[in-house]
Amino acid sequence: MATPDARPAKPRPIVNAWAQPFWDAARAGRLLIQRCRDCGEPCFYPRIACPNCGAAALDWVEARGRGSVYSYTVVQNNAPSAFTADVPYVVAVIRLEEGVQMLSNIVDCDPSAVACDMAVEVTFQRLDDEFTLPKFRPVRR
Amino acid sequence: MAKHRTRGRTAIVGVGEVPTGRFPDRGAISFALDSVREAIRDAGVDKDTIDFVIPTGALFSPQFSNELATARIVEELGLKGVVSNCQVFSGGSSSTNALRIASALIETRRARCVLFVHTDKLGTGVSAQGGIDLFSTAGISAEWEVPYGQHYSTVAALATTRYQYETGCTDEELSAVCVSNRKWGELNPHAFFRTPLTIDEVMASKMLSTPLRAKQSNMLFDGGAAFIVTSAKEARELTPQPAYVLGDGGAVTHFAYSQERDLTRFGWAAAAAQAFGEAGIAPSDIDVAEIYDSYPIFQLIAFEELGLAARGEAGGLFLRGETWPGGRIPTTTDGGMLSKGHIGAGGSVSLLIEAARQVMGKAGARQVPGARFAVETATGGTYMDSQVTILGNTVP
Repeated sequence: MATPDARPAKPRPIVNAWAQPFWDAARAGRLLIQRCRDCGEPCFYPRIACPNCGAAALDWVEARGRGSVYSYTVVQNNAPSAFTADVPYVVAVIRLEEGVQMLSNIVDCDPSAVACDMAVEVTFQRLDDEFTLPKFRPVRR
Repeated sequence: MAKHRTRGRTAIVGVGEVPTGRFPDRGAISFALDSVREAIRDAGVDKDTIDFVIPTGALFSPQFSNELATARIVEELGLKGVVSNCQVFSGGSSSTNALRIASALIETRRARCVLFVHTDKLGTGVSAQGGIDLFSTAGISAEWEVPYGQHYSTVAALATTRYQYETGCTDEELSAVCVSNRKWGELNPHAFFRTPLTIDEVMASKMLSTPLRAKQSNMLFDGGAAFIVTSAKEARELTPQPAYVLGDGGAVTHFAYSQERDLTRFGWAAAAAQAFGEAGIAPSDIDVAEIYDSYPIFQLIAFEELGLAARGEAGGLFLRGETWPGGRIPTTTDGGMLSKGHIGAGGSVSLLIEAARQVMGKAGARQVPGARFAVETATGGTYMDSQVTILGNTVP
């Protein structure tokens, strides 16, 4: 099958209105999660109500930006069209110290150095004028 | 909830299926019509006794999927007794959900004879890269995962990495799943891949997303299938050997894959407990296991969580041939998506009708001698749910 001549642009997050504070903060280099005012449980991704207790009172709090790699993979072939120029790239599920999980990429390191339960910290990569994506890199010792 | 209320109350009485393959000159509707006609013949029902039609979704074309939702099959086949045509779609678990709904409708006398049908054209209805791109968005969170390059290879690889880390499962054991399924695919005239496969060939294939290799990945094809469900009482009048629905169970555990708390277990244990409890049998009673296999990792995890092997030990069973033809626990006997081919929501439709064939004694060269109880698993989206169905040739 022929490769398309023009690679599509990177997919931009399709944002739900209530998540806008997350993306505004990411553009300013801050990683926000939510915390329930009633039950105290942390929450990510942004919700309109606490998925633990159902309360609508969710506060935005800044995460420490540290966590560990729950699992990861190095994409080498058959990437989606917008990512074929990026291989090899690392996709990982990150467990933040606050207890929530998020998908991200591991950057600023040799992909072969990534391992399960490895300590990582957030870094921010600009996608375009509107979006900056939180990504993760190994914790510098 | 009252126990054992539904065990053996309904049955699959007929199945139909077209071979999986690449058919650029055939419309997707033809796979559906051929499958339904065969299922009607197999069941021995009058077409006009069908009063409820459940088509599932077709991924290759929203336009065509909408035609299925709006009764095209009813009109094409001139089904005259249909009260409802109502689409049921949950990706790869559509088959289980449709059977669950069909059984509920029949038990409550809201339907008498339910037809389920699946058709899709992912082999020739979309390009190869189009298929990759479709499966980098279908069921994957557009806000939280698509921007990071998540797609189905990474979804499978993320579970594989963690499972290997926790259990010590080897690449050879993962590859043994592909080999086992191919042993069955060789016996299935409807399978796309029917030539022998070795572990070395799997392990030498192109790396897609570590540790997942090309031959550990399903490929997309055209295909379709249908089945018919009635009450157990009516089933016994129609056919000497119905496939009784003995029990089912399910657990929906996530939408966005990164929100799954245990990528090495999912909800299979809870789903299996419900299904086996309702059926009144134990995992050790199972004669044939039709386990959803879009990638080897998901077949290993479900096999273990169902109680068919201890944690971390399924790979060894596949490697030693205990799941092969003639083995102790024949598994995924139609070849699965890894050998029969991935046809969208039809991956588990294939497995469900294969489970029905096995307990009805209609599995041809793949027939497991004396098969009484079959367990089938299905899962949709990015493995958002764990669905377990148990069929039997008798009601325990």
